[in-house]
Amino acid sequence: MRQSLSLVLLLALIISAGAVLFRPGSSYVHQDRDALFAQASPVHPAGTDGMGRDRLVRVSAALLLSLAGATIASALSTAAAAAVGILSASSPGVIGSLTLLVCDAFLALPWMFLLMMVRSAIPLTTSPLASAVITFLVLAALGWPACARAVYRGTRQLRHSDWMLYAAASGLKSNQIVRALAPNLLPLLLPQFLVSLPAFIIAEANLGALGLGIAEPLPSWGGMLAELGNSATLLETRWVYLPVALLVLVLLLLEAITAEAQR
Amino acid sequence: MRPLLASVRWFVRACFVVVLVMLGTTVLVRSAPGYLSDAREMDQHYAHAARDELAVVAAQSRSPLAMLRQELSSWFKGEGGESRQYGIPVIELIGPRLSVTGKLLCESLGLSWLGAIGAALLSSSVRRPRFLWQIPSTLLLAIPTAAMATLCLMMGFGGPVAVMVLCLAARDFKFLHAILRKSWLEPYVLHARGQGISTARILLTHVLPATGPQLGALASLSIVTALSALVPVEVIFNVPGLGQLAWNAALNRDLPVLLAATMIMAAAVVLAGATKFESEHWRRA
Repeated sequence: MRQSLSLVLLLALIISAGAVLFRPGSSYVHQDRDALFAQASPVHPAGTDGMGRDRLVRVSAALLLSLAGATIASALSTAAAAAVGILSASSPGVIGSLTLLVCDAFLALPWMFLLMMVRSAIPLTTSPLASAVITFLVLAALGWPACARAVYRGTRQLRHSDWMLYAAASGLKSNQIVRALAPNLLPLLLPQFLVSLPAFIIAEANLGALGLGIAEPLPSWGGMLAELGNSATLLETRWVYLPVALLVLVLLLLEAITAEAQR
Repeated sequence: MRPLLASVRWFVRACFVVVLVMLGTTVLVRSAPGYLSDAREMDQHYAHAARDELAVVAAQSRSPLAMLRQELSSWFKGEGGESRQYGIPVIELIGPRLSVTGKLLCESLGLSWLGAIGAALLSSSVRRPRFLWQIPSTLLLAIPTAAMATLCLMMGFGGPVAVMVLCLAARDFKFLHAILRKSWLEPYVLHARGQGISTARILLTHVLPATGPQLGALASLSIVTALSALVPVEVIFNVPGLGQLAWNAALNRDLPVLLAATMIMAAAVVLAGATKFESEHWRRA
């Protein structure tokens, strides 16, 4: 019930954001030079930022971009984790142990430091869209080991189950066994996919707030959170809190969906 | 003899993990697009000769293996490489900041665990745990650390320790509540409660010892979380620690400093026993 409600609310948010962003004449880069830090009005329902850009359009674009990026990154990371987990559980002991060691090394790395390191090495001339793609790809590349561990454990359990032993004794080949295993891991992979979504959104927001996320003028949660650091902006308008409020709402909805799926 | 062997095995594994981290980060940095482009090459203040020299220096790190060798030898010399930004050994930059970061980490970890354990004990021991207990932690977990730190700074509420404690306590509480709740519902604990044994005694003799290994694993996990939360907190509150140094290095593309900071953090996580717990987990699987 809670999951369905959260899902409906999230879909409603996505549709509203899409409607705001794709309505004729709206653009997240358009600057209204006569309305810097404007208050809410019929033209700009949530006011404008310091460059005269419509805040509502930018928040909508950030929401869609962040959700789309996190979904793709999460799907990639879950797929990589599934591949590594299944392969290490199905391969001989030495290969499995080596894979474990690599995963341990990844788990020993604090995300934020590694993210900063990779993001800082990207050329200064990188386009905003490329910076967004790279940010989410890096998140996907760093997010798989924790999930791979769970897949490894699940695969090992399944491989020692009665029906799997029977299948092996009946002469099924390794690839046939893996094919039979994969659908049974879906109940494990779906929560892992859902858990990664809010984690990636938060990581992008933190990175962006530090000036190392998605480049301007592409809107992102992080870039808009950085606005909070300017006390003059806070005094100008209360609409500056809109991105934080919406981000918290999205994360709470995702959390509710994830918690239900995990149960 | 067996514990000694286990310790040696753990130590060897930890060393392997640190070397792997070093190798992995070096390869990762080297493979990142634009690693060889130096911002100084675009600066018109530098003469052509200086820019050519920069290009020669960059060419030395074309091969990841050469880069790794250079990095290892500088660590053996006790320098940890040379900062591109400041032109001094990295170790000189990191040394004074380690104590600042260490103090911040110790204070926040201690306070957050105290708060989270206290709240989790209260929430898990009641007959019907209420949903209300979960609301603050869920809400706090939905706020990115950077946003929380900025809001606290702007509103003049709390400092770096307070933000770290809020972030860590929220996460720890969630796990601690689940672990302790499961333990309180064990049949033997329910039986002991039915026999009228005091809650304090059950807690000390049954619940806490049974959850010990999980609490240990959770402690190492909170160190990892704290290290990640460290960067935004130190940057926003202007704390001269390792996180701020790493952020500054990231903005100025000072990759030797960033690489050294990441490796120190990785070594801290390994020493905290995180990977040991993970491998135990895998082995038991």
